[in-house]
Amino acid sequence: MAEENKQEQGQEIKSGNQGKQFEIAILPLQNTTLFPETVVPLAVGRSRSVKAVEAALATEEKLIACVTVKTPEIQGSDAKPIDLYEVGTLVNVKRMMRNDDVMQLIVQGVDRVKILYWSQEEPFLKAKVEVLPELEVVDHEEVEALKRNVQGMIQEALAMLPQVPPEVRMSVMSQNNPVQLSYFLASVLDLGVETEQKMLEANTTDDLLSLTHGALAKELEIMQIRSKIATEAQGEMDKAQRDYILRQQMKAIQKELGEGDEGGEKAEAAQLRERLETADLPDEIRKEAERELKRMEQLPQAAPDYHVIRTYLEYVLELPWKKSSEEKLDLNEAQKILDEDHYGLEDIKKRILESLAVVKLRPDSKSPIILFVGPPGVGKTSLGRSIARALGREFDRISLGGVRDEAELRGHRRTYVGAMPGRIIQTFRRVGVNNPVLMLDEIDKMGNDYRGDPAAALLEILDPAQNNTFRDHYLDLPFDLSKTFFIATANQLGPIPIPLRDRMEIIQLAGYSDQEKLNIAKQYLIPRQIKENGLQNDQIEITDDAVNLLTARYTREAGVRQLERTVGNLARKVALRVAQGNTEKVTITANEVKGFLGSPRFYPEEARAELPAGVATGMAWTEMGGEVLFIEATMLPGGGGLTLTGQLGEVMKESAQAARSYLWSHATEFGINPEMIKQNGIHVHVPAGAIPKDGPSAGVTMASAMASLYTGRKVRSDTAMTGEITLSGLVFPVGGIKEKVLSAHRAGIRRIILPERNESDIEEIPDDVRAELEIIPAKYISDVLSAALETEVSGPKGENYVIPETKHSDGTNEPLIAREK
Amino acid sequence: MAKSINRYFQFIASSKNAKSSGRLWYPAADVYETPDGWLVKVELAGVSAEDIELEIQGNILTLAGCRKDRSCAVGFSYRQMEITYSHFEKILSFPASIEGASIEHNFENGLLLIRLYKRETA
Repeated sequence: MAEENKQEQGQEIKSGNQGKQFEIAILPLQNTTLFPETVVPLAVGRSRSVKAVEAALATEEKLIACVTVKTPEIQGSDAKPIDLYEVGTLVNVKRMMRNDDVMQLIVQGVDRVKILYWSQEEPFLKAKVEVLPELEVVDHEEVEALKRNVQGMIQEALAMLPQVPPEVRMSVMSQNNPVQLSYFLASVLDLGVETEQKMLEANTTDDLLSLTHGALAKELEIMQIRSKIATEAQGEMDKAQRDYILRQQMKAIQKELGEGDEGGEKAEAAQLRERLETADLPDEIRKEAERELKRMEQLPQAAPDYHVIRTYLEYVLELPWKKSSEEKLDLNEAQKILDEDHYGLEDIKKRILESLAVVKLRPDSKSPIILFVGPPGVGKTSLGRSIARALGREFDRISLGGVRDEAELRGHRRTYVGAMPGRIIQTFRRVGVNNPVLMLDEIDKMGNDYRGDPAAALLEILDPAQNNTFRDHYLDLPFDLSKTFFIATANQLGPIPIPLRDRMEIIQLAGYSDQEKLNIAKQYLIPRQIKENGLQNDQIEITDDAVNLLTARYTREAGVRQLERTVGNLARKVALRVAQGNTEKVTITANEVKGFLGSPRFYPEEARAELPAGVATGMAWTEMGGEVLFIEATMLPGGGGLTLTGQLGEVMKESAQAARSYLWSHATEFGINPEMIKQNGIHVHVPAGAIPKDGPSAGVTMASAMASLYTGRKVRSDTAMTGEITLSGLVFPVGGIKEKVLSAHRAGIRRIILPERNESDIEEIPDDVRAELEIIPAKYISDVLSAALETEVSGPKGENYVIPETKHSDGTNEPLIAREK
Repeated sequence: MAKSINRYFQFIASSKNAKSSGRLWYPAADVYETPDGWLVKVELAGVSAEDIELEIQGNILTLAGCRKDRSCAVGFSYRQMEITYSHFEKILSFPASIEGASIEHNFENGLLLIRLYKRETA
């Protein structure tokens, strides 16, 4: 009966009609969804399922409905109706093979069915189902677009699957029915039960295609990522392999060339490690270096950082962290060395020896920092060298002239390309010990700009309290500078910042006197030049007066550099004669100098035999030493005020005004008619007009020149003077006394008027010069004037100028002040 | 995925020609041209004549039907099944229109023989 029923229903199904309802065995499926048109193999082992299949095979058309279990955890054969979806697939069992208790099936989907109600649960599931309508393929534009998209994606997917045979590709690509294509893809792709079920339940072609499209897109993306990962892995391997081969080849080439330091980077790192282990480093430095080395070992040789670290480590290893040169300080020996190398400079040598004595008594004390200030060529640098020799230490010098970047001293941080340590650390690597004598030359010539101020960096370097942990930007490790003997040199104190000046012991080197220059020439310069020019001592002789002529007329300097060059010039001329075969001894006297060197180059200001009223001799300090200058004052009859010329600075102008005001207010004391000052202008000129001058030290000279003009008493021509004046008539001390006096002496001056409080400086003046001078200390301007002015009125007295009639109320013609007196 | 595609195609045979669901089996057929018409031989063993439908339209001959298993009686149990029992459809096209031809058919050793006699006045 049931069989007949089936038969009937079978007939109806065959006719393709949907909506038919019939009762059928249900096969629950796990993790799989079957679709119409698709052929799928199934294995059925559980007894309940086997019974369901057997029931299906008993029918004429071998039909069964496959329904998927909602939750994968539930075994298909144990599934209860509630665990199953409501839409499944009607399938035809095409083949069956029993293998022990397992049935191997090949089934093909026929139609979609919807479960109406469950009619049986045991011994197998059975339900009344209704055949769902077949999806119609309408030539809707959207469907077409989706279909083409899907086909495009399939093509892409197939491109990534080279193992799919071509006939399969063909058949997939030629599948034009979107519904069948979708069902096919759904059964082929592993989309997950939920998606597959949704696709099965889709009731329009549109919905189905959208779902297919989405699923395929996702699948395609996964495939792309997977293939990308695979390609990248492949690429990486290829590159590594290529590098390896190239490196092997390079090694072979190096070996052939004899450069083959076995095994490139490994060996390099190992070498560094060996050096690091044997190096004598402070613990902190070792720790840091080891950390860097570890980093380097992990890097490939081609990495840019590898070389940066290697250079850095080499630097660290080469620095003298603990290495010092042994000190062999013998003060007597030191004295001998200083005397050998330098003539005179007794005071300076004494101070140097004092400093050295402290170093000897307290080796752990902070080394002193000495600053030599003086004009060029006086031997600052060579003094530093002598100190190093006396101490038995290494010597090196850093020229700071023109340095204007802080990084020059302190280095650049390692992050910068081509970064290097600063000059300080570089010097330490060069000398190889941590207690050298380090000369900082031209410390007054450092510049500064927006990049930083090197003087500020020097503050740290030269501070004994903090320079034991000096950190270079490049090294970034504390280096101990405190054992270093720093010597700085400068031509002028002015440009050195006060905090920096404060850290150093300042030793002033004045210029040399003519006598000293003569001695230096005889003892050092002439023998040295004879040797340098390949002459013998018996081939040339330069007499003392020739040397004096050279210092006075062929050179103008505080030091002896130009003198040495001039001597060298003479020596070369003699060398030419000798080389030409004239081996006779050449004696150069003052008369012959002109023949060798041509006319004298300098005509120094010499004391003038007679000065007219209104002219006074002053002394000026220059970087080259000292000079005499003449201050001229002249009356401007009927004019007014004070005219100042000669490139005078503000301070100098003011001291001229002070001089005039003082004389005006004390006119009667000096026998000057104040009316004359009031009625006539005065012009003060300081030659040479092109050279800028400044400073207060010409105050007394101006006062003398004006007083001479007003009184008609000439200033003594053998007298030169210096000193600052105040309105109350005091004379203040000034600097550069030694140079000034020496230059005045050179110019033939024999009387010098100095501020009383400068008396201590007189001791600096060499004895031979002092013996020839009369030095007059002055406390007040009146002292200066009485010493400078001649007593008798010899010039055109100021009174001679036209003085307009001034009638006083009482009818007398006498000066007001005098009258009040 | 490639594997499953291959597996799929082992069974799918020529399903790409399928037009709609419900027709899953495609019996093999030979077509002879005879002096007086055509002889069509179709492998349809086990199909009873009443289950076959023939239809002629223009130059197309459509065979459709269903092979049903009538041997499986109550109490039987399958051990192996390799014969396909299901709907089938076979569409044969001829070079000329066969409409109006007279048809004869009979089963011979499991093969369905269909003879088409051209109409005298074609």
